[in-house]
Amino acid sequence: MSQFKSVEVKPQQEHLEVGKVGENIARGYLEKKGYKIIEQNYKTKYAEIDLVAKKGNELVFVEVRTKKGENFGTPEETINRKKLNKLWGNAKAYAAWKKWQGPYHIDAICIVLGYNNTIERLNHYENIV
Amino acid sequence: MLIKIPSAANLGLETIKVDVEVNLANRGLPGFEIVGLPDKAVDESKERVRAAILSSGIEFPAKKITVNLAPADIPKEGSFYDLPIALGILDSVLQFEIPEESLFFGELSLDGSLRHTKGAFLFALFAKEKGFENLFVPKDSANEAAVIKGIKVFPVENLFQLVSHFLKRKLINQAVYKEPEDRLPIPAEFDMREILGQEQAKRAAEISAAGGHNIIMVGSPGSGKTMLARALPGIMPPLSEEESLEVTKIYSIAGNIPPGGSVISYRQFRAPHHTASPVGLIGGGTRPHPGEISLAHRGVLFLDEFNEFPRQVMEAMRQPLEDGYLTISRSKEIVRYPADFMLVASANPCPCGYFNHPKKNCVCTPRQIRKYQKRISGPILDRIDLHVIVQPVDIEEFSENQKASESLESSGIIRERAILAREIQKKRFNGESIQSNAQMKNSHIKKYCKLTKEVEQLLKQASMKFQLSARSYMKMIKVARTIADLEKAPEITVSHMAEALQYRSKIYESI
Repeated sequence: MSQFKSVEVKPQQEHLEVGKVGENIARGYLEKKGYKIIEQNYKTKYAEIDLVAKKGNELVFVEVRTKKGENFGTPEETINRKKLNKLWGNAKAYAAWKKWQGPYHIDAICIVLGYNNTIERLNHYENIV
Repeated sequence: MLIKIPSAANLGLETIKVDVEVNLANRGLPGFEIVGLPDKAVDESKERVRAAILSSGIEFPAKKITVNLAPADIPKEGSFYDLPIALGILDSVLQFEIPEESLFFGELSLDGSLRHTKGAFLFALFAKEKGFENLFVPKDSANEAAVIKGIKVFPVENLFQLVSHFLKRKLINQAVYKEPEDRLPIPAEFDMREILGQEQAKRAAEISAAGGHNIIMVGSPGSGKTMLARALPGIMPPLSEEESLEVTKIYSIAGNIPPGGSVISYRQFRAPHHTASPVGLIGGGTRPHPGEISLAHRGVLFLDEFNEFPRQVMEAMRQPLEDGYLTISRSKEIVRYPADFMLVASANPCPCGYFNHPKKNCVCTPRQIRKYQKRISGPILDRIDLHVIVQPVDIEEFSENQKASESLESSGIIRERAILAREIQKKRFNGESIQSNAQMKNSHIKKYCKLTKEVEQLLKQASMKFQLSARSYMKMIKVARTIADLEKAPEITVSHMAEALQYRSKIYESI
């Protein structure tokens, strides 16, 4: 059993923690760029939107993807067609719910974290759907 | 940034130009998309290209990559777009210069090396026709492409080598055509010398080899029908250069040329089993593929146990037997494959095999025999020039002959005669679109086979007696012409015609 000694059992919640850290980083990044954050981690029974922001007169829905290291794939790879469809549906539902009449679009922010949650890279992809 | 890499697509035996357009966009989520009606093999090229580029030690760009195969309305199939796609991506990253008038083609392996890809020969032909100067192909396919003179063929081992070539670090040497070592015919399974007795059948085989005539042999089990057919490749005259290119085209598109191979230089002997499906034998499929009859182009198609072939398969051969080519029409494309083959069929006279046997008794009922014989239809029999009954071998004679087998003619000697006869035919049909007597159309017969009065009289009498059809009448003249050619006689004489008529014996007697 000695070979398993070094394996550290991670708490179940760790990936959620990473997500939260990423979301906060993204929020800070957007605010610095002049976006006005309206919602963070907006949740309903059906949907979840990481960030809703406003840039000028446009509503921006942001999906944040965070990974610790790129050894097991990039954060970009985790956004597949199914997720894109879901994002689009959520955005539409949100806009309808808030009776938003103006333009809106969806962005993605992909963050790679290093040790101690340092930011290795942050990419902002605009209008991905 | 948009990069355009020229490649091509094969539609049957025709090739059209396809531009592989690669666009790396800075906007949008990184991804890899191929458009332009790709099939599954083309679409999966994404994964191969990604792995191959990474294996070559080059970073795969994290950008939105869109590949368009133009013209976008023609369905693309095959794995050979791997190289142009990979090159397009690399070019937009490394910004090297690709010389104009270059054509690219090849399947990538995950480790970045290029694999032998089918169709190299057709690409080379296309490159020459359309004035492309350089052709980049996988190393294993280079010899196949280098047959075509007048273009520069570059054998590419792997992606890295190609990139170094374009970055002018290390140039790739042009491929030099290597003559295939097997210019000689493949040795036949049997030598004619090994077949004892059966003089008439052997003579018929010689005639069919000399003139390219179809032949059917009927005889009891063990009489040597299959052996005779398997000895045929040994007496067939070699392919002319022109014919060999035709055959190579078909083999290249079918992917039947081995890595490092080049032209098909000998006549092919195809012997499909009687369980072959119509599409397997004739060709077809949603993307039409050549069948056995096209692979036997300019060669021999041997159908053993002819009666056992499904009727549908047999009847489908009627038109190609007559025309020498086959047009496959599907909703998406129409393809024409050449299928000018020599049909060699063998069959038993009845289900038990001993009908009309001199010593053994047949145990079949007349109804059974009729049913069995009816499986070969009249239209098919009418298209076969030589009908031969192979008599069973007498065991006493057989053991005596065995000692004398050394004195029999070997395949080599018979082959020499067949070659001479073919040369006469070639000279005769100089300037025509045909090469052998069997291919003659009625106009050619009128022009080249003038019959004397006596010969015509004989033929007329025989046709009345045997009730030969108009087609059979013409076939008899063709066979007589070949017999005359074997004797180097300029005119068809009565004896030539008389011998030809022998091969119209009723192989199936009505009961």
